This record gives sequence, structure tokens and C-alpha cells, in this order.
Amino acid sequence: MKKLPIALALCAAFVSANTMAEVRINGFASIVGGKALDDDATLYGYDDDISFKNESMFALQLSADLQEKLSATAQIVARGSDDFDAEFEWAYLTYEFSDELQVSAGKMRVPFYRYSDFLDVGYTYRWVRPPQSVYNLPFSTYEGLSLLHNTQLGDWDSTVQVIYGSFDGNIAVVSVNGDTELNDIAGINWTMSYDWFSARAAYFVADTTIDIENDTDAGVALNGLEQTLRAAGFVDQADDIAVNEDDGSFFAVGFSIDYNDILFDAEYTEFEVENSALAKQTQYYTSIGYRMDEWIVHLTYENNDDKHDSNRYNALPAVPALNAGINQVLEGVKAKSNVYTIGTRYDFHPSAALKVDFSRFKDDISDTETDVVAVAVDLVF
Amino acid sequence: MKKLLIATALTLCSHAVLADVAVIVNPANSSAIDEGMIKKIYLGKAKSFDDGTKVNPVNQDGTSVSDEFNDKVVGKSSSQLNAYWSKLVFTGKGTPPEKLANDQAVIDFVAGNADGIGYIDAAKVTDKVKVVGTF
Repeated sequence: MKKLPIALALCAAFVSANTMAEVRINGFASIVGGKALDDDATLYGYDDDISFKNESMFALQLSADLQEKLSATAQIVARGSDDFDAEFEWAYLTYEFSDELQVSAGKMRVPFYRYSDFLDVGYTYRWVRPPQSVYNLPFSTYEGLSLLHNTQLGDWDSTVQVIYGSFDGNIAVVSVNGDTELNDIAGINWTMSYDWFSARAAYFVADTTIDIENDTDAGVALNGLEQTLRAAGFVDQADDIAVNEDDGSFFAVGFSIDYNDILFDAEYTEFEVENSALAKQTQYYTSIGYRMDEWIVHLTYENNDDKHDSNRYNALPAVPALNAGINQVLEGVKAKSNVYTIGTRYDFHPSAALKVDFSRFKDDISDTETDVVAVAVDLVF
Repeated sequence: MKKLLIATALTLCSHAVLADVAVIVNPANSSAIDEGMIKKIYLGKAKSFDDGTKVNPVNQDGTSVSDEFNDKVVGKSSSQLNAYWSKLVFTGKGTPPEKLANDQAVIDFVAGNADGIGYIDAAKVTDKVKVVGTF
């Protein structure tokens, strides 16, 4: 329902602009086929049957310059994982104050990661999918404002983006699902780049509420624990489990190199919701690649770790047994894993690339391994 | 007659291999434009000439001159440039220069637009445009 007003506003913007502005249409698409190589294991949405739908997507972008430094942009994305139901992924107006400064308002992407802004545009990176251990926050868009400032400091380009807004929707976090409301999302994303080198840092905060659903074991355990504590009169302790208007924070640093056909990327992120059952997660990846004309070969290592120790919960000194029970439940919602990916990209056409990635995911908690192989054609037009 | 044909053919062949790219602006444009500036303009990093006028660059659409220009001046392959611009286009941060069909279309555009800049085969330069660099 919420999408309709945005769509109408944009249509109105395009229609009224019709007489004086040209509307540009750009698009991109990824057709991805893949499968898990193990029985009874699922990874990146693949099981042991080949799927061409799971990671495939198709998108169109309409943008109109409305003169006087104002422009309207909408990106409509149809994902195979959503049965190719088209959705407005981005829909915003931009006003350019100057060559250096612009403000946008509407529905946009939170710039959590280096590749966030063009996460869907597979053509812009070398993997079939960016490293999922790091690129794992379950929501990517927000509604609000974005201020973007570009400057040149000698041979360096500096880009500072400040955002403010909110999000609500149903998402999966760590090992639970739930209706999520993020209010007062605020943060900064700063990138410095010099010809072959670029570095970035980002920090975001949000007032976080997640209504945890009982559709996973971890969800059932957490909700049961919270209700037990609350019923027993341990209100504060119950609040420390529930994710209710708690301070969520996200921090990221990363850099990338593209020098003499050697490619290197590394990103590190931390995510935490204070006073809640969601343990602090840290994750990173490093990736090296080598370009030979139209070919790139690459190797990536990813790691996702849980920073809480297994007896972190000690809020009820008088009742050690209960503490132990709570810690056992919290232990059950932990996530700890690593992934190796080896892959290749072949630019067989000026606007299209063919990619093959093989990934081996290791869950350090259950001590299981899952392999996934995927072949993708990414294009832009 | 036969000799002339051979001579012409040879000239054309050597020409195709050795073609230089001339970067051209409108004769009325007196801004200082060096190679670094041209690169910045074609990567969307410089948006105005040094007198403050908005710059209005044009590309060529997949011609050998554009390959030459991308390689010599911008330093990226057409696939890399396509990826570079996709990052800007799909995040509302920039729009790539418009693509024109050939040298003549670029000359006409630059001759007719005081803020225009383009590149052509250096052998095709006319007095309707001003050369700011040959690569």
C-alpha cells in the first residue's frame, strides 16, 4: 500500500516533466543458475536442485531531469526470489545545490557496504554475489534523506554521504525472523579515492525493534525465555532479551585496490543491538583478483564471528542455574562461519559478463560444510 | 592509376593503425584543459570548465576512435568504463556523456555548443573546432 503513493508521485513527476525533460531509461539484469552440491543443505537460497530463479533479477531505471537542478529517479526491480514481482527499490528526487553538493529524498539504499549502492548491479563487481558473510544485513533500503558531498583534495576524491530516515518490514536477523522497525536511522559514509586506491568508513545507528517470530528454533527459544523471565517478575532481564527500541549500531571500514590488473578488496563490519539477545556480530572478507584483458580470476575468504562468550549472561547472580539456562539459549542463536569462494568473470561483450563462482561455506557451530556453484550472466543496458 | 590506388590503400591502412585522437572544444572556449582535466571530465569528476561553465561532453558510440580515446586518455577498457558508469547511473550520482555516431557528428556538436567537448580522429579536425590535446 505504501508503494502506491510513491509510484503515483513519481508518475506525476514524470508526466509533468514530459514537455520539458527527457526521461532516460537504463536497466540491468542478472540471470543466475546455481545449486548446492550437498544433499539436505541450503545456501544462498540453493538446494541440491538447479535453480535459475533464486538469484536472477531484472531491473529498469527511469530518470528525468526536471531542469533547475531537480531530477526524479525510480528503480523497479523484479527478483526471481520474489517470483519476479516488480517492486520500487529506489524512488527519489534529487536537488543539486552545486557540482559538489546534492540532496536526495525518497526511498534509497542504506550505504552499509562498499558495494551497497549497486548491490543489484552484478555487472559492476567480479563475484556472482558480494561476500555474503559481510553483506548480510537483511534490509537494504530506507525512506528518508541523503546528503551527498563530493570534493577533490589534490589527486584524491572525497565523497561524504549523510543519511537520515526509517525502515519497517519483515526481515531475518542472525538466526531469527521478525517484523522490524528501525527509527531514526542516521549515519555517515565517507569514501576517499585516488586513481587505483579507495578507502571508506561508515557508521550508522538506529532505534531498533524486532518482533521475533516463532518460525525458527532460535525464535521459539528466545520468545519462550523472554516470557518465562517476564512471568517470573524479571522484567529488566526480559527486556535485555527482547529487541524493543534498543540502540542498534553498525560500523564498517574497507579498502579496494585496482593496480596493474591486480584487484584487492577487504571490508570489516560490526553489527550490534544493545540490551538485546542479538549478540555482537563481526565479519570481514578479503578478496584478491587478477585481470587478464577480458578475464578476471578471483579468490575470496569471508569470516563471520560472534563476539559474545558462552557465559556472557550473568544478570541473575542469585540464580546461577537460570543464568546457565539463558546462556544455553543465547548460545543457540549464535552464528559463526567462514566461506572460501573461487571464481572467474569473462567480459564477453561490452555490456555483459559471464561469471562462475564456487563457494564452500563452513558453519563452525554445527561443523558442517556446504558447497554452492553458480553461473551468472550480468548485463547493463 | 593502379599505383595511386595502392598508395591510397597503404595510406588508409597505416592511418588506421596510427590514428591519433584529437580532443576538441568550441573555438570560443578559452579554458585551460589538460589531459588530467579531460580524464576527469570523461569520468564525471569534473563538471565545469575553469570559468564556471557547465561542461557538456560527448562520446562516440563504439567507434575505433572511442576505443583509442578510452585506452589512451581515460585508461580503461570499454567494459571497465561501462562498469564504472553503471555504478554512478544506478545510484543517481552521475550520467555518462551522450554517445554520438561518428567524428562528423562530434564536430557538429562541438561547433554548435560553446560548452561542448569531444574527441575525433586527429586527421578529421576542421577550423570549426579548437584542438586542446592530441593523444
